[in-house]
Amino acid sequence: MKTLLIACLAALPVLAAPQQFQLNLDSVAAKSSQHVDVSLNSATLQFAAKFLDADNPDESRVRKLIEGIEGIYVRHYNFKSAGVWTQADLEPIRAQLHGPEWSKIVGSTNAEDGGSTEVWLHLAGNKSIGMAIVATDPKEVTVVNIAGNIDLETLAKLGGHFGVPKVKDPKKEHKED
Amino acid sequence: MDWLEDELRRALARQDAPVGFAERVLARGRREPHGARRWLAAAAMVVVAAGAAGAWRQHQGYEAKREMMLALRLAAAPMHRIQLEVKDITQ
Repeated sequence: MKTLLIACLAALPVLAAPQQFQLNLDSVAAKSSQHVDVSLNSATLQFAAKFLDADNPDESRVRKLIEGIEGIYVRHYNFKSAGVWTQADLEPIRAQLHGPEWSKIVGSTNAEDGGSTEVWLHLAGNKSIGMAIVATDPKEVTVVNIAGNIDLETLAKLGGHFGVPKVKDPKKEHKED
Repeated sequence: MDWLEDELRRALARQDAPVGFAERVLARGRREPHGARRWLAAAAMVVVAAGAAGAWRQHQGYEAKREMMLALRLAAAPMHRIQLEVKDITQ
């Protein structure tokens, strides 16, 4: 009985959040020179949201963005040189994303810098309840898993607000010229 | 008026204090300042503990916020890259 209870408890996280996958990237971590590991569940996100500044437009946007999020799990690795990590290292992640509930919505490869980005959505009916991002370049690997509903456009817009250069709209740029 | 005088005499009649009353009063008088100080110290400790707990909670909150911002920045960067590439293609 006790063993059964332990087995059920062990299986609980997997059953509780199907849109959350195992970020088993130990082989990548072992080769990296620097890594960032962030795991935030719903309670932590709600707690963190209390410390967002309502008068700051960027932070207000973040508050709105995280409303539907149940968890954010990020693994980011830096490597001293190219060729240290291989595509095989990411196979445990991709294998989980090849399940029928995951749909790849964007896959892009940049021939110039050798970078690639994949965005996957976990669909329940017509609704997206999870998201995965696998972004790589020769000296960097980032895997993101967001459980819950997220507004992709708002997330992309945040790119210009967190130290990442903002995308310049060519049309607006043309008008300004 | 005799009955009133009798009543008053009975009510105001001298009575001896119970045994040990004076000692008890004096002992209590001696104890009281220490007791008050103890309560004051306990209250101060509660205030300090509450303040420390509040400060610790705030520290944890800002730490959680920092991690959340870092996670969103790392998630936003590839999305930004895709947006850039899509714009390049459609240009």
